[in-house]
Amino acid sequence: MKNSRSFIASLFAVLLLSGCEPELSINEPGNLVPKTVDQDSSLPSIKVNGAQLHSEAFGNPSDPMIVVLHGGPGIDYRHLLNCKEFADNGYRVVFYDQRGAGLSQRFPYSSYTMQVAYDDLNGVIAHYRTSPTQPIFLLGHSWGAMLATAYINQYPTADIRGLILGEPGGLKWGDVEDYISRSQDFRLLGEGLNDAVYSEQILTGKQNDHAIIDYKFDLWSAAGDGKDSPTGNEGRLPHWRSGAATNNAYIDLGDRENPDWTTNLSQYTTKILFIYSENNKAYGLAHAQKVSSAYPNVELFETLDAGHDMLSFPKGWNNTFPTMLNYLNSLK
Amino acid sequence: MKIIKIFVLALVAVLSNKSVGLSQNLNWARLKPEQRHILNVNAGYDYAFTYGVGYGYQLKTKFPIVLNVEHSQPAGEDIFDDFKTKIGGQIRLYQINNFHFTAKIHGVFRRYENDYVRLVNFGSDMSAIIGYYKSKWFVAGEFGFDKAIVTNFKHSDLFREDFPQVKDGWYEPATGGNFYFGLQSGLSFAKSDITLKVGKVIQQDFKTDPTIPLYLQVGYNRKF
Repeated sequence: MKNSRSFIASLFAVLLLSGCEPELSINEPGNLVPKTVDQDSSLPSIKVNGAQLHSEAFGNPSDPMIVVLHGGPGIDYRHLLNCKEFADNGYRVVFYDQRGAGLSQRFPYSSYTMQVAYDDLNGVIAHYRTSPTQPIFLLGHSWGAMLATAYINQYPTADIRGLILGEPGGLKWGDVEDYISRSQDFRLLGEGLNDAVYSEQILTGKQNDHAIIDYKFDLWSAAGDGKDSPTGNEGRLPHWRSGAATNNAYIDLGDRENPDWTTNLSQYTTKILFIYSENNKAYGLAHAQKVSSAYPNVELFETLDAGHDMLSFPKGWNNTFPTMLNYLNSLK
Repeated sequence: MKIIKIFVLALVAVLSNKSVGLSQNLNWARLKPEQRHILNVNAGYDYAFTYGVGYGYQLKTKFPIVLNVEHSQPAGEDIFDDFKTKIGGQIRLYQINNFHFTAKIHGVFRRYENDYVRLVNFGSDMSAIIGYYKSKWFVAGEFGFDKAIVTNFKHSDLFREDFPQVKDGWYEPATGGNFYFGLQSGLSFAKSDITLKVGKVIQQDFKTDPTIPLYLQVGYNRKF
């Protein structure tokens, strides 16, 4: 009897469905998330280290080069486009979405390693560098600042003329965990928690179902940008597309391997510019001093009237740009 | 046409026993045939901190069957933006002494909204429960599957600032599904039950955990 009911109901549904217009698929690129560079040839891209990366560069190609490293892991460079202003001040500014992030090509979760990230950065530098003597600066924000440090720690004698770091969570994984726990201050009974997790009963995706897990990451990010957040941003960060697999991979890598990216930093004696913000209650002077102390030569700078993403909003950008430009000019 | 289709999908979900969830827990050993009405209040963690109410009606049948409707919503400042409503029932299929085997089947209608999107979902929730029931207490194990069958997406202007080409509408096949398994227990006195259930949630791939992969519910039943 039960089987008969199931069969009749299913048959009825199939007949109805066959007469209707096709529904949208959650895993189809372009429906809920934008297509990536390997799916949309109109997007600017470069091919390095076996990956097609969403990338743009501004300014005179032979000027000193600033490579901008975005945060996340897994978000994109859209919110760092204020850095184009350096191009009007005698610099070549290079942006790229890291592998698996933003509009760059997606790869399986298991393929992401720190070495792959270093090799991608080397590839980006090699792609845009016009001469062996062209100075190279790294400008990293949040995770991007951690990646820049990990790169310097891996290659302490590399030809990197200078380094600007904006609020890296930490350079040792324990510091990263401490910062994350403070920055994601969801209240148990707050709307922010609902916004972050209640959708998980409706949307689920496997480890490499990139479209759906990237979309879920976007919803999570919207919750993190909410008014409950202690990170003090002026508003919501603009972005193209999150990269959930790469985010999960690097967070899991940190939890698993407990990396320390400070062991060789004593060899990098060039002064670095280390920026933290006035309004990020999860960061503050004490954490900035603790994290930056791994470098032997540090200029510590507090951006007033700004939160964690101090380079993305007008007040923070205007209060930080002159200091960054002075730092770069002093080294180029 | 769309509405008919959605209704049919929900109906199929219930009739075909494909899925089921957190719902009214009963002490079968304490439920008397003349107790037709069961009111329930509950609170706990169900993909967020939630609170809910339910009503059950016991049919006059050979096997005890309780039809019920439940509504729950998460705490938070925006009261009506997120909720879950379930309509279905539970039947005690088999009894050996104090051991009871129960099946629950519900159609699910739920809503989620944040600054980016409003989701409306039709799904199903099905579970099996095996437990030891005495008149004053019970303990049981449950295993279930909560399937999000078809979902309507409507994105906000804020989301479209980032991605103007996003496509609103009905998405299928299923946008999600989670298995859950755990324990439920309760104490019964007079015409009341106080119940507790706790367990783990895992995505339908049996590999991926949700952010908080647990559920917990404390409930109170009043029968009359």
